[in-house]
Amino acid sequence: MKNTGAILIAAAILSLLGLFFFWPLALTVKSAFVFNRQWTLVIFSELFKNPLYIEGLLNSLALAIVTTGLVVCMALPLAMLAARFDFWGKSWLTGLILLPMILPPFVGAIGIRQILGPYGVINAVLVNLHLMDWPQAVDWLGRGRFWAVAVTEALHLYPIFYLNAVAAIANVDPTLEEAAENMGCAGWRRFRRITLPLIMPGLFAGGTLVFIWSFTELGTPLMFDYSRVTAVQIYNGIQDIGASPLPYALVVVMLVASAGFYALGKLVFGRSGYEMMAKGSTAGSTQQLSGARAGAAFGLFAIVFLLAILPHIGVILTSFSQAWYRSVTPSQWTLEWYRQALGHGLTLPSIRNSCYYSLLAMGADLILGVAAAVVIVRSSLRWRGTLDTLIMLPLAVPGIVLAFGYITMSQPGRLFEGLNPTDNPTVLLIIAYAVRRLPYVVRAAVAGLQQISASLEEAAENLGCPPVQTVARITLPLISANLMAGGLLAFSFAMLEVSDSLMLAQKQAYFPITKALYELFQVLGNGPYLAAALGVWSMLFLGITLLLTNRLMGQRLGAVFRL
Amino acid sequence: MNVSLQAIVKRFDAVIAVDGVSLEIHDGECFFLLGPSGCGKTTLLRMIAGFCVPDEGRILFDGQPVNDLPPHRRNTGMVFQNYALWPHLTVFDNVAFGLTVPGRTCPASERRKRVGRMLEAMHMEDLARRKPNRLSGGQQQRVALARALVIDPACLLLDEPLSNLDAKLRLEMRVEIRRLVKQLGITTIYVTHDQKEALSMADRCAILRQGRVEQVGSPRDLYERPANRFVADFIGGANLVPGKVRAVINGFTIIATTFGEWTARDLHGAFQPGAAVALAIRPEALHLHASSGTDLNRFAGCLTETIYLGEATESWIRMADGFVMKALESGPGIPGRPAIAGGPAIAGGPAIAGGPAIAGGPAITGGPVITGGPARPAASVEIQFHVNPDDVIVLAAE
Repeated sequence: MKNTGAILIAAAILSLLGLFFFWPLALTVKSAFVFNRQWTLVIFSELFKNPLYIEGLLNSLALAIVTTGLVVCMALPLAMLAARFDFWGKSWLTGLILLPMILPPFVGAIGIRQILGPYGVINAVLVNLHLMDWPQAVDWLGRGRFWAVAVTEALHLYPIFYLNAVAAIANVDPTLEEAAENMGCAGWRRFRRITLPLIMPGLFAGGTLVFIWSFTELGTPLMFDYSRVTAVQIYNGIQDIGASPLPYALVVVMLVASAGFYALGKLVFGRSGYEMMAKGSTAGSTQQLSGARAGAAFGLFAIVFLLAILPHIGVILTSFSQAWYRSVTPSQWTLEWYRQALGHGLTLPSIRNSCYYSLLAMGADLILGVAAAVVIVRSSLRWRGTLDTLIMLPLAVPGIVLAFGYITMSQPGRLFEGLNPTDNPTVLLIIAYAVRRLPYVVRAAVAGLQQISASLEEAAENLGCPPVQTVARITLPLISANLMAGGLLAFSFAMLEVSDSLMLAQKQAYFPITKALYELFQVLGNGPYLAAALGVWSMLFLGITLLLTNRLMGQRLGAVFRL
Repeated sequence: MNVSLQAIVKRFDAVIAVDGVSLEIHDGECFFLLGPSGCGKTTLLRMIAGFCVPDEGRILFDGQPVNDLPPHRRNTGMVFQNYALWPHLTVFDNVAFGLTVPGRTCPASERRKRVGRMLEAMHMEDLARRKPNRLSGGQQQRVALARALVIDPACLLLDEPLSNLDAKLRLEMRVEIRRLVKQLGITTIYVTHDQKEALSMADRCAILRQGRVEQVGSPRDLYERPANRFVADFIGGANLVPGKVRAVINGFTIIATTFGEWTARDLHGAFQPGAAVALAIRPEALHLHASSGTDLNRFAGCLTETIYLGEATESWIRMADGFVMKALESGPGIPGRPAIAGGPAIAGGPAIAGGPAIAGGPAITGGPVITGGPARPAASVEIQFHVNPDDVIVLAAE
């Protein structure tokens, strides 16, 4: 493509990123270092003197480590099975186990509390089996709820790791493994010495994503009232942000830590990505399992799937139950909550709001994403690799940090005062959704463009087709599957977005679904039931989107979740 | 259309891909850009198509500079090496594409007619509704050609169009493409690294090496009067023997080499006595049946290798100083090795002369030459050959 066009597009994208990504972050960082108009470290020293915040940071870190560990244990064996073996039921099981990704852990928390709580299902089962009496009921959520939060997040996040691992394993040229076997290295040794090193970059990409995600997760701890983590402390700090600058410093610490993990990952594993001389061909590289081994593989998938949807089954049952207290299943069923939810001032408007925000964000992402991908893949700009890296950065910055930045930049007296979310968060929410999900769309579009030879476009130009028309008539149709998948992902994640939504939507009329869910959940009495009903609706909606996406992308879906 | 390249230079970072190329391609000519990979021939073609812009120099179409014209306004028709057929469009839609762009739009009926005629010419009319992924390589090739020609381009550009086809189909397509472009009278620029393709199809041909033009000429010129050692070796291959001019007598040049004196017919007297030269002798110019002819250019060496090629046999002959000459003999009835055919060629082998060449026979103990396969003859087998003075090409030493 012509360089002038590429430079214009790149400049436009970079200035948007500058205004709505780097600028809010920079302002936040600056606010953490300036007190009484002077540059100082006093805010940080206050922060690190406070044992409450230290504990929050340590808890966040522990949560991230435990969650990532759980995720790897669950997803790696599944990925190996899926990439290397065929067995009965594989095709739909591999689709099903992705489902939890679009079921927000946030909603699942309602179900988990119903199952593990002191009056919940597990205790009821134990009582029914006469192993226990109600007075001895155990709170399985655990003290401080740490493990409940970690398990809930792991059950939500393992698909991301799974997809990365499958993509990495499928990408390994099977002849490399055959060569090892040919030289007498087989089984576990072959996995450790050949396969594992080759798939390490892919595993690490997925692992970093999971780690940062759980390190900064806001929704799940909130729903479990687990308040001693940094994310929740930041959330609680917004209320009196004018009075105390401590939240700024907290945000900076979280940003630095996340960026640090990200950079560490890139340094250690990112560069050693091995080029395969030949792409792995899926044909012939999978082995048919039968009998007991097929049953075991099937069972492993089924167990993980059942565990992962257990919270959501809890949510569904809750939404249909008149009362569910000290019993294995609800004692009485009803549709009352759905009826009430329809009439409640929070639900329907929130669905409409979410669709509106998410559609606009998706549209913006598609336009920017395609433009960016064309520059990255097709132009000859020297710094197009840098552009690629910059666009991917929002993945490494936690949603809560960015949302905090938006609040900072729209404080009275700042440049974007007019966008202040206390009045109307629409613009900021759309921007937040769009910026955070842009990387997915860019990756999807880049993957598509890399698959089609540039000569297909050149052939059109050679026959007299001007560049813009060439994009419309040749390029876009050829990458449409990728774009649809990227767009659907951007859309469904925007619908699910927790931290931006909780932090930015401050007026009921503008609440998106997630914020409405949280607010409903807080309402005493029928609140949790209404929240469950709303949760079921959003699950249905998003489940359909993800299945569509998976259909469109197949195994390439993993490429979208790469850092 | 005339295509004129004037002192074209193109750099990719530190690499000079095209280094001052000037060429005149005449209207209606079938012009070849020939060279080894990395010589800049594809870059030149892409510059003519407009996909990359020269750093220096001018490209003129019929005298009009087109350097700043984007590809879609150059009215060239290009056939890509990988064909670049759009997988989401049918054969018909692929071919019709060029008739649906601004400036070339035409009524649907006319479009159908033109595409139909073109597909017919390519024997592809039955496959118009197919998607490209359901075509064979040869069929895809035809669609690509039809797509480029249907727009009536001022000039047809072909980038190694036959390299993805199997050998037999390649030979057929050579004839077909040449017939087609000559019939249409269209200026054709054809990039290839296959010298046989170039020799058999080109009106004229430019030999490129490392971004420079080594020689421009008709296939016959290039083969019979190569300008330098590179061209001589690249086109058809040659034995390059270094030597020094001893004398020039009556239109003959006498050249001394490390293994004897050569005589070349040199009508132009291009070299003076004392000049350092290189002789280029085509392998097929070596006559191993040395019984006939004069004593001019008659040499003897050791047969070290015979390579059976099917339609021909290659023999490697080591000269007294260790220099290896290659000889190529073609024609039916060559049984694996030249020595047997006429017999007397093998000095010191009277037992073999005229013999029935029976493997294992007692007469041939010294000559493993007879086994019939591409066997390795013992180093001691001496062989004579001679070369006609007309076939000795004298080139400047480099």
